[in-house]
Formats: sequence, structure tokens, C-alpha cells
Amino acid sequence: MGKYQAIFSAILSRMLGRLWGEKEVRILILGLDGAGKTTILYRLQIGEVVTTIPTIGFNVETVTYKNIKFQGQTSIRPYWRCYYANTDAVIYVVDSVDRDRMGTSKEELHAMLDEEELRDAALLVFANKQDMGGAMTAAQVSDALGLGTLKNRQWSIYKTSAVKGDGLTEGLDW
Amino acid sequence: MYTLFSGLHEYLTRREEFYVIILGLDNAGKTTLLERIKSLFLGIVGLSPDRIAPTVGLNIGKIDINRTRLNFWDLGGERELHGIWEKYYSECHAVIFVVDSTDKGRIEECKEVFEKLITNSEVEGVPVLMLANKQDLPNSLKVEEIKELFNKIALKLGARDSRVLPVSALEGTGVREAIDWLFVRIQRNKQNRLPIFK
Repeated sequence: MGKYQAIFSAILSRMLGRLWGEKEVRILILGLDGAGKTTILYRLQIGEVVTTIPTIGFNVETVTYKNIKFQGQTSIRPYWRCYYANTDAVIYVVDSVDRDRMGTSKEELHAMLDEEELRDAALLVFANKQDMGGAMTAAQVSDALGLGTLKNRQWSIYKTSAVKGDGLTEGLDW
Repeated sequence: MYTLFSGLHEYLTRREEFYVIILGLDNAGKTTLLERIKSLFLGIVGLSPDRIAPTVGLNIGKIDINRTRLNFWDLGGERELHGIWEKYYSECHAVIFVVDSTDKGRIEECKEVFEKLITNSEVEGVPVLMLANKQDLPNSLKVEEIKELFNKIALKLGARDSRVLPVSALEGTGVREAIDWLFVRIQRNKQNRLPIFK
């Protein structure tokens, strides 16, 4: 059911986008809990840090960036797959400080990328929480996530700090 | 009987695929080159050069020449990303090394990185094409000068095919010739690095 709803909303928003002459791309923001997805989403949308509580379900927001509308949504893991259809890009958010869960993060990422519906989606990784001490570098994170094993997909990694707002627009430019 | 025919059909219709990695220091023009290759061979308008930001990851491109597919991996050139390059060595069929011919101050760094690349055992025997990029700029080093600078390291190339060619990724000059050269060398090296069949 969720899948059809997602498809329906994608078609609807595409029609609206055509009317308004804006190019719309659908982007999923995914990552483990506590990585900072919701903070990033609202930082992008209203440019402010909002105090967030763990997201149960998902948030859908539309962000206009240089005339390109992004639809970002954050959701809880078991429901991720409901939103895969019609996705142009995935932003995968990683907590760069949480070394213990890098392994889990890697498994989730690769399981997600194996999905047929995401075959052509580009991958943008945000190595988040760079404002905190002891954060892993972009190279370390890409190594830990096994990004080097991705051979047929466009990918990129950026160091970000959702709290400070660093690196987010560079990532979106990409 | 069915397996025989389907096997034959598969044999006749299968396509060879090869992988080419594009490496070099940051700001050498690797992504601009990839976009140029795409626009030349696919006839599509690539990303305009002023919209290309430094690559921090991987860009990919696919072109078809005579039913053979060439896949390009364009990897970020910043120093901290060089560790990622090695992950792609064992599966590549050729290497393009892009040099910024105008950046004389970084030639030493460039030599060091190039030497490390060609002496890696995982790319042994793989054809290497060095591209002296940015030939559209007046102060660029000519191919002969680049060759001379890299002469000593070139001895370590071993028994593989290698060449230095001038290009301007920005204007597109020399790019088609470069890919044609590479295509022939990849075919020649086929016994050594088997193609992937799709």
C-alpha cells in the first residue's frame, strides 16, 4: 500500500512540477538512527537547526535549491523500501563518530543498494557530525562503508555538520 | 538441444565490456575529460565545465564502440582519496592518467603518484595512457617536455603498452584519438585481462 501511495505522490508531484516549470528530483535521506537525517532535512529546508526527536515514521519535505526541488524524506529502516520507486538519488547519512556501528551502517547501505528499484540512483554520502571531536575523515568513512566496492554507481562523499550547516550545499551541488 | 541453441545464441549476441580508470591529481581535468568523452561518443551534451566541482568519490560513464562497451571510472584526485583508487585496480582493463600540463609546480607530486600507480602489482601489464591535458592554454608543457620529465619513471612501465598524448578536455581536441588508441590496446591485451561478457 505504501508503495502505491509513494508512486501516486511521485506522479502527482511530477505533474505539479511540470506546471510550475521546476525540475523536481526525488531524493531519499536514509541512514541509521541518530545519524542526523532529520536535522539535515530541516537545515536544508528552513536553514535552521531544529531540535528533533527520533523520527518514527517519516518526514516529507520539499526543498527548493537553485530551482531544483528536492523531496527529502527520512524514515525508519523497515519502511525504507516502500519509498525506493522513482528515486533519483539517495543521501546516506552516517554518524562519523559512531565507529562501533559503522559495520551495521555498511550492511544496511549495501542491502539497500542491491534493491532493483535503486539500480540507477546516485549515492551521496554525508559523513555527518564533523563538528564533534574524534570524527572519522571522509576517506576513513568511505573505507568503512566499502564504497570502493561500488563499481557501477555514481557516488560521492562529503563531510558535513548538520548542526553547523557545513558541507550540505556542496553535496547538493553535486 | 535447447541448451545448445541458447548457448550459441548467447555466444553470438554477447557483448564484451571493459573498464577504464581515469586517475591523476586533483584539478587535472579528469571529470571534464569524462564529460567530453560522453559528449563525443554519445552525442549528448555533457555537464558544462564551469559546473564541475571537485570529485569526492566516483563518476561513471559508458560508451559503445563497435558493439563493445567501455565503462569509465573517474575517481577523485585529492590525496586523501588515493586509497580508494586501489580498490578499482584489479578490475580495470586500462588506465588513463591525466596531467595538468600547466601546473609545473606540482610535477614532482605528479611523478610520485604516477610511479606508485604503475608499480602496483594489481595493474601490471595493463595499458597506460598519459594525457597531457589543458593544451588549449598557452603556457602548457608540450608532450615532448612531459615525456622527458617522466622518462625515468617510464622505465618502470615494463612490457605494457603506454603512450603520452596531448589533449584539451575543455575543447575536445585529441580526445577521440586518445580513446581510439586505448581501445586498440585494450583489445590487444585481452588475453591478459579478460573482458567481462554481458
